[in-house]
Amino acid sequence: MNMTLIGTTLAALLTIAVYSFLYKDNPFYKFAEHLVVGVSAGYYLVIYYYNFIDPTVVSPVFRLRIGGDAILLGGVDWWMALIPGLLGLILYARFFPKIGWVSRWALGIYVGGYSGLGIAPVMQARVLDQIRGGALPVHALHTGQGWTNLLLVVGLLGTLTYFFFSLKHKGVLGGLARIGIVFIMVGFGASFGYTVMSRVSLLIGRMNFLLHDWLRIV
Amino acid sequence: MRALLPALSLSVSVLLALFPPAGRAADAPLSEVVRETAAPAAVTGLQARDYLDNNDRGDKIELSWCLSADDGAGALSVLEYRVWRSQAPDEQGELVATLEPGTAAHVDTGVTPGVAYYYRVEAFDGALSSPAATAGPAVGRINLFQTSRLPVLVLSLAFFAMVIWFTRLAARGTNLFVRRIPGLNAVEEAVGRATEMGRPVLYVPGIGEIDDIQTIASLTILSHVAKIAAEYETPLIVPTARSVVMSAAEEVVKEAYAEAGHPDNYNPDNIRYLSDAQFAFAGAVSGIMMRERPAANLYLGAFWAESLLFAETGFETKAIQVAGTANVSQLPFFVTACDYTLLGEELYAASAYLSREPKLLGGLKGSDWMKVITICIIVAGVVLTALGVPQFGRWFFTQ
Amino acid sequence: MNRLGKFLQIDRRWIFLAILIAVLAPFIWPMGLPIVITKPVQDLYNAVDAIPPNGEPLFISIDYSPSTVPELDPMALAILRHAFSKDIRVAVLTLDPAGYGLAERALEAVAAEFGKERHKDYVFLGFQPGISAVVLGMGINIRNVFPEDAYGTPLSEVPMMEGIRNYDQIPLLITLSGTAVVEAWVIYAHQPYDAQIGAGVTAVMATDYYPFLDTGQLVGMLGGMRGAAEYETLIDRHDAGVRGMDSQSVIHILIIVLIVVGNIAYFGSRKRAPETAGGDAAA
Repeated sequence: MNMTLIGTTLAALLTIAVYSFLYKDNPFYKFAEHLVVGVSAGYYLVIYYYNFIDPTVVSPVFRLRIGGDAILLGGVDWWMALIPGLLGLILYARFFPKIGWVSRWALGIYVGGYSGLGIAPVMQARVLDQIRGGALPVHALHTGQGWTNLLLVVGLLGTLTYFFFSLKHKGVLGGLARIGIVFIMVGFGASFGYTVMSRVSLLIGRMNFLLHDWLRIV
Repeated sequence: MRALLPALSLSVSVLLALFPPAGRAADAPLSEVVRETAAPAAVTGLQARDYLDNNDRGDKIELSWCLSADDGAGALSVLEYRVWRSQAPDEQGELVATLEPGTAAHVDTGVTPGVAYYYRVEAFDGALSSPAATAGPAVGRINLFQTSRLPVLVLSLAFFAMVIWFTRLAARGTNLFVRRIPGLNAVEEAVGRATEMGRPVLYVPGIGEIDDIQTIASLTILSHVAKIAAEYETPLIVPTARSVVMSAAEEVVKEAYAEAGHPDNYNPDNIRYLSDAQFAFAGAVSGIMMRERPAANLYLGAFWAESLLFAETGFETKAIQVAGTANVSQLPFFVTACDYTLLGEELYAASAYLSREPKLLGGLKGSDWMKVITICIIVAGVVLTALGVPQFGRWFFTQ
Repeated sequence: MNRLGKFLQIDRRWIFLAILIAVLAPFIWPMGLPIVITKPVQDLYNAVDAIPPNGEPLFISIDYSPSTVPELDPMALAILRHAFSKDIRVAVLTLDPAGYGLAERALEAVAAEFGKERHKDYVFLGFQPGISAVVLGMGINIRNVFPEDAYGTPLSEVPMMEGIRNYDQIPLLITLSGTAVVEAWVIYAHQPYDAQIGAGVTAVMATDYYPFLDTGQLVGMLGGMRGAAEYETLIDRHDAGVRGMDSQSVIHILIIVLIVVGNIAYFGSRKRAPETAGGDAAA
């Protein structure tokens, strides 16, 4: 029997088993749910080993790879890979109460390193460039673009005010915050609409799979 | 016969003079043929230096020179300039560029930073090259500071200064005002309802890693919820998607139970690691909701696509639901299906409000005042742009 | 309880059935609704079109996993078809471990369609862990993070990668992702290295990245299956994206009707009886 057909049929049956939850919880759904949990744990274990642990620690330090030749990234000596590898292992010390405090050192280096790498680019991309984008010409109200700009600036200022926690939302501040929450909710509505589209696309994709790839009736 | 040869050569010379064959010699009278073997004039004033740009990686060297005297005019009109690069002063090295006439500058890319290079530039007229002008050694250097990034530095320093200042104030015991987040009342009400109905509380701290600030904020709120649950003796279930988060949650809940005076009620089996895979975790949590029927579901932390699955399944089980995440794309689902939602930064504000931890308070106040600065800059930018001064925006344009 | 209130109590399984019919019907009776091209999609198409043939390669980073295949796979296939039809060279990589198989499948299928030759017209660089580390590393030298292609051939032996050192030699890099990886490309590739980045994202994440489009940090963007359908229309193809649009439109109309009816029922039943228990039946 064709292995592709068996695989497709198995995938289709599991799809239907998961969708059966929409009617009510049943043993087929439970089986599919537990199967996904187990298989994903095993799959990710293998993926993480071969794509994370092996090329970054095992290959450079021990010069071996299970089932193939060691992968050697350019310019990485064995000690360059060993130190971060040990720091990664130290993270697991938190499972042993007596030496658990050591893991905070490794966590600190990890969090600190990534924060340092990220602060300047994020400040640039998420703050400065957006400030630049917010300083719009709002005076040209004889054009449609002028009204769009005004709406954007008002919404922006209102939203920033809503998330101000140092003062109570009273008076002018309260009024501006209320404008802000209106804009926020409108934004959520738009985002929700996009997400409905996204979820529906996933459903359409599954239906396409069932009708086209499995049953071949369309 | 003896006169034929001289006559013949004279005729040929006259004919050649009158109807010269095509080529450079056509323009030159016979007396100038000797000069045709001379090369064009060399370029002068050749300089080679490290190229400075916004984004300097030290791998570019800039060359500049004065054009050859024969560029664009004269009998020895330059056809092209040739640029040679080597690592020794007396070697010609490799040809790295050929440039059109009229070019007086070139940026050589792809050099190795820190290595000295020597350059030669020659003018070529199609037949001969001028004597080479030389320059060097030139070394590409990575800049210590990109001046175009000054706005980033100024804003970052201002932000850090504010955070440190407020953290110190909080550590000294100064009462820093933070308005009460309405969502916190909803959290406490939810736990109370679960106690009344004799059913457990489900607390999902998101699927982010332990270094995600949302997870850290969530664990602070978990401590508060665990204390209330311990006092009311309500079971608290905490499913996690990351093993490190599970062990952190275990510590937090155990400490909370001890502080509330009920260390024996702590049940480590209620803090469960389910799966790293997003939808496997979602399926497993949905399963817990359907089987164990918690009366209060609290979703606080970093969520992605599984958020709607949680909210919908919890809604079906008629549980009271309170959610909070800074992932803006997930907020609409929580707002729609939950009884109360902490929007974005309110999650961080809630954790600062509850714990009164100086670092959290300092961060919150610092970002608050950063917002004030941002609002002022935007308003100034809008006003200046309306007054016809668009250069304001350029100060933020660092590319 | 009045009729409006009863409508709110409708068993949601009837709504699931209605949605199922709304999805299936256009598959069996296609309607061919028109597709209007939006500016972000047009901008991305123009950026790809502007790449000279047989020159510096277009980089495509396939950073998605099987859960977002229905939205992002049609984008990958459409962009690959566009590039290969214009003889634009393509280098594909992935930052998601589950994306390896998806990337390979898409690339090999489309390359075979156009008779393209590996290492001459396209190369598959494979997967590297670390996301931000990989993106930053590519800014210095691609060979530091991808010393070999996915099949073990050193990049120095791949003819089309000759002279391609870092982002300076990459005319455009398109990332296809359903997660925050797009932000990593903007922050770590565009900001420090001026790399030109385009994105294809799931519709959920599209709203997160519109600010980047407005400020020019992203060259163009495809949002969801709709974005894929628009791109397919631009390249005159009728593939999975376009095929799904009919179902998409019908379901959207159904949901709008349900929301309107649900709201009428909710407010109508509140007027008659102040407190009605139970949830809203509409989505």
